[in-house]
Amino acid sequence: MQTNFTLAQLADPETATAEKILRSCVHCGFCTATCPTYVLLGDELDSPRGRIYLIKEMLEGDHAATKEVVTHVDRCLSCLSCMTTCPSGVDYMHLVDHARSHIDRTYRRAPGDAILRALLAFVLPDPVRFRLAVSMARLGKPLAPLLRRIPPFRRLAAMLDLAPWSLPPRRERNGVGVYDARGARKGRVALLRGCAQSVLDPGINDAAIRLLTRAGIEVVVAEGEGCCGALTHHMGKRDHSHIAAQRNIDAWIDEMDGDGLDAIIVTTSGCGTTIKDYGFMLRADPIYAKRAARVSAIAMDVSEYLATLDLGEPAVAKRPTVAYHAACSLQHGQQIKATPKDLLARAGFSVREPAESHLCCGSAGTYNMLQPQLARRLRDRKAANIAATGAQVIAAGNIGCLTQIGSATKTPVVHTVELLDWAYGGPKPAALRE
Amino acid sequence: MSAIIFPTPDPAILSERDAIVSGLISILGREGVITSETERRAYETDALTAYRIVPLAVVLPASTEEVAAVLKFLSERGVKVVPRGAGTSLSGGALPSEDSVVVGLARLNRVLAIDYENRVARVEAGVTNINITNAVSGRGFFYAPDPSSQLACTIAGNIAMNSGGAHCLKYGVTTNNVLGVRIVLIDGTVVDLGGDALDAPGLDLLGLIVGSEGQLGVVTEATVRILRTAEGARPMLMGFASAAEAGACVAAIIGSGIIPVAIEYMDRPAIKVCEAFANAGYPLDVEALLIVEVEGSEAEIHDLIERIKATAAPFHPLATRVSRSEAESLAIWKGRKAAFGAMGRIADYLCMDGVIPTGRLPEVLTRVGEICAGYGLEVANIFHAGDGNLHPLILFDANNPDELVKAEAAGADILKLCVEVGGCLTGEHGVGIEKRDLMPYQFTPEELDLQMRVKSAFDPKWLLNPAKVFPLRGRPAAA
Amino acid sequence: MLTPADENHLAAIVAEAAAKKTPLAVMGAGTRSGLGRPMQTADTISTMLLSGVTLYEPSELVISARAGTALRDIEGLLRGKGQRLAFEPLDHRGIYGTSGNPTIGAIAAANLSGPRRIQAGAARDSLIGVRAVTGFGKVVRAGGRVMKNVTGLDLVKFLAGSMGTLAVLSEVTFKVQPAPETEATLAITGLADERAVAAMSAALGSPYSVSGAAHAPADEGEPARTYLRVEGFEPSVNHRVQQLASVLKEFGAVDVLGRGTSASLWLTVLDVDALSAPFEVPLWRVSVAPSEGPKVVARVRRAFPARVLYDWGGGLIWLAGGDGEDAGASAVRAAVETSGGHATLVRAADQVRNFAEVFQPLPPATMALTRRLKATFDPAGILNPGRMYAGI
Repeated sequence: MQTNFTLAQLADPETATAEKILRSCVHCGFCTATCPTYVLLGDELDSPRGRIYLIKEMLEGDHAATKEVVTHVDRCLSCLSCMTTCPSGVDYMHLVDHARSHIDRTYRRAPGDAILRALLAFVLPDPVRFRLAVSMARLGKPLAPLLRRIPPFRRLAAMLDLAPWSLPPRRERNGVGVYDARGARKGRVALLRGCAQSVLDPGINDAAIRLLTRAGIEVVVAEGEGCCGALTHHMGKRDHSHIAAQRNIDAWIDEMDGDGLDAIIVTTSGCGTTIKDYGFMLRADPIYAKRAARVSAIAMDVSEYLATLDLGEPAVAKRPTVAYHAACSLQHGQQIKATPKDLLARAGFSVREPAESHLCCGSAGTYNMLQPQLARRLRDRKAANIAATGAQVIAAGNIGCLTQIGSATKTPVVHTVELLDWAYGGPKPAALRE
Repeated sequence: MSAIIFPTPDPAILSERDAIVSGLISILGREGVITSETERRAYETDALTAYRIVPLAVVLPASTEEVAAVLKFLSERGVKVVPRGAGTSLSGGALPSEDSVVVGLARLNRVLAIDYENRVARVEAGVTNINITNAVSGRGFFYAPDPSSQLACTIAGNIAMNSGGAHCLKYGVTTNNVLGVRIVLIDGTVVDLGGDALDAPGLDLLGLIVGSEGQLGVVTEATVRILRTAEGARPMLMGFASAAEAGACVAAIIGSGIIPVAIEYMDRPAIKVCEAFANAGYPLDVEALLIVEVEGSEAEIHDLIERIKATAAPFHPLATRVSRSEAESLAIWKGRKAAFGAMGRIADYLCMDGVIPTGRLPEVLTRVGEICAGYGLEVANIFHAGDGNLHPLILFDANNPDELVKAEAAGADILKLCVEVGGCLTGEHGVGIEKRDLMPYQFTPEELDLQMRVKSAFDPKWLLNPAKVFPLRGRPAAA
Repeated sequence: MLTPADENHLAAIVAEAAAKKTPLAVMGAGTRSGLGRPMQTADTISTMLLSGVTLYEPSELVISARAGTALRDIEGLLRGKGQRLAFEPLDHRGIYGTSGNPTIGAIAAANLSGPRRIQAGAARDSLIGVRAVTGFGKVVRAGGRVMKNVTGLDLVKFLAGSMGTLAVLSEVTFKVQPAPETEATLAITGLADERAVAAMSAALGSPYSVSGAAHAPADEGEPARTYLRVEGFEPSVNHRVQQLASVLKEFGAVDVLGRGTSASLWLTVLDVDALSAPFEVPLWRVSVAPSEGPKVVARVRRAFPARVLYDWGGGLIWLAGGDGEDAGASAVRAAVETSGGHATLVRAADQVRNFAEVFQPLPPATMALTRRLKATFDPAGILNPGRMYAGI
């Protein structure tokens, strides 16, 4: 597309990057077909192509973000389905991240909205605060159906809906430590503990650790790491996300330069995409650019890494049929599509893929709290597509999806790695034991 | 912006904007009407981004009734209407004017009925082309016309443009596959033409509507034929040292009595770009590549491929490869179908759409190269070799206004050449705004006059999709 | 009888008639003059002298010929190059008892298509270009010689089937297809109409590319026969015959008819031989969704006895029967009303065709559009006036 930036504007590296991305869009419209919000709303403005257009106008005009642009960019899930579809290779992810940052800096949100976002940015990345918030939310859960009917309280209702009835007990040191390989040590990896997953379902990382150590891999949950920054990054709060990234980079570089790491394993695909993006995010930082690139270079989704290992023979047993839900961050963000399904199939599971598998479940980080109506519609659509497969278990590689889909179905929802651990000698996942 | 002239917007309509907008809101509700300038801007163009005009307003109706109410309201006030499907037109078919209201059909997106026994499907017009096939593929059926944009384009747009696609060689284009439409006329009257029988009584109004580029009415539903998918299909690649040999090979294949499902042609520059995107294994050191697809059982496919190889032998193919797997077939087609988008990775371009008698391909390709070189521009060629539809992609720098002018001039020269050799201005993309002013090269004044009077029979005040298709000069007074 | 020798002469004749408002009947060889409503015309134009092939490019699958060219000559020329017209042009001589050499122009003007329409499209789908003289006496072209052509409004499709009421075709361009190496027909005996349609549906819904699907119910001692045709290269035909036989075996024993028998058989279906005689019996042509076909026939038979032939998988029904001053029109129209689709009174005595509507009456909005379009092409109303509908 034609762009209209002044030389002065293009002198700013961030703007220059954005301009290059905008130029690569030929406005063909293919992306509209696979965008969940366009599929639901039928409005060009809620399609990637329309958002690109709005962002272009906003950046060219060098003015503060307006309500209209913010409305439509806020509705973007950052599912990146468009990037999978785009024949021209438009780097939509970085464009919309840049736009969100611009919005955060220049747009005055309504007080309620601003407070809620600040609250989410404050609470979610910190396991202690998050645990407390979820405990309190449980008290309010019965009110959710009523609150949902009152527009100003919809988001609160959505949050209450998502809060689980019970939480697993807190872990000592929240899981930090070194987990020895069983038998001969064949490799050494770091495992991201992160934030929300460590509170909602530490069992996922437990399963990953068992599976990895059983395969001869030493696993370290590094001291000092925490939230990867994805949540705040997608809210446009770059200061927060860059600090989180730097903290994690420090923790992992220590390990890399210490006992060494073959990979940094991530079990939450939403985080995986962001950690792989650290190199880009911090490319202009004089101190962190190189370190970030080193970290990003060895970041892997757990399924990616498992595919490189010899897991041995799976224990033969009667296994339930599995509906594999492809998390957006995994299939679009990281372009990992077949690997998790292949792993499950090799482990002896019969895997079914739901229709419209490219469409987001609506979790998308904080989306299901900030855009409850759209998130709910996507959730229900996803749940119906999954139910139509008739599978007995639902597997996914991202805690957000597990929580979101779990809130709309009675079918047990588990992380892919929990099923794999079970197949290769671990215990039956808790969700299946009921 | 360049050579194409747009009519002056009607100041009377512009001054009534507020009243028009509130009238639309009372029909569709706030969510159905887009009014702010920032938001209207997203609708100012389609896939022909060289032309951008912000409309008066945009409406997104969700039913035929809403479309009818909107058209009635607007036509009573003399407001122009620009229908829009997915906005993927390459000829500016969805380009608005400042005094028009865009009527977007994306919310009419339901598949209404599928009748496998009678092999028809009824869908709302905003359903995408691929979603028709998706709705019936579980039972082994498909909807045949497959434009490259089929992922995103709507059946409404397909009907407006009489879209084709790579597989139309065997299965025909949209007009050969549509059995009925529900169309809203400019005054809000809803008319049903055709249905689920294979023909309809009276004059072929349906045949007139298909390909009418939004000039005659707004289609809100369509009844289309669905066909059983063949047992299997397989593409094969053949690379040639020259366009002449490739072209002669195509003629020989057709002359031998084989009608492949598709015969696609790409030249060296096009091959390079498509291969970079799709990694399909296209041979990179050939002047011309043919993708030939055949269908049937394994044995039939094998038989046809052997026949094709034998027919091709005298033309010395440098590389021949038959797809060995589903994944490979998908990659081969992905490269071809994403060609236009893939081109966008390396340059801005104008995608032309002329048709020539297939026998003239080699000389036309030479001339196309010469024309573009004459303007200092590069070109890559993609060609539906089976039916003569040529897609030269003229590369230029969109940020350089001079280059756009040159690219358009080169495009116009190419299209005139197509007409000169016995072809026509457009095989699939439609006239839109892009080729409007070239119409006198293909039609006499009487012929244009007749077409315009047909338009007037449907839309006497010329409110539908103005400034398109017909040259501005010579229009009836109402226009 | 006016017989222009070239297009300019034709145009002059029409221009004069328009100026003087003299209604003209348009005719090729006159083999189908019984098709349509009787007209009151002052004179007749015949295209018989507008004859000759103007372009034939076998490797581009295209042929152009002046409208009065004998179909027989065109088919002969195509056959010589192993090609044919895909849609199987319909011959009415058996139906009307007429003689003469049907012209290619009439095929386009009346959109006359045979059994292969289900697979290869109708005449109008193969028609890619025309030259015509409008009711103003002006020569216009539409389309051209290339298959893909979306330049401007599709007047080619619009003129196809317009039965000379909008313009007189002076030249037509068709896309052609290769004639197949061989053909075969599967035949099942003894199926009731619904079952036959189900069998044809199963065959047409299979991937085996059926190019003809017809059903002749039991009649005068002959049992019912259902026919499915496949064409192509020999190995392909053999494979598909085998596969279809398995698809169809639940319907009954399947006989396979070889090439020669198959070809002759389909000619009889195309020309509606079984219902040609006697000429006094009215002949209806019903077009409907195939699964509705037998229901329409059953409803009609409650009103009057009828002999029928199903083609197009059940979607085209030739129905011989009907009496009274409207040839049973009210019963036929009522039957079609419920099922959707339309019926045409193809053959009946002149006074009957004056009284009953020949073509399916159109809803008001469609009729209004039709009138406006007639006026657009032929404002003086001189071309085949009333051939399709009163005032058109």
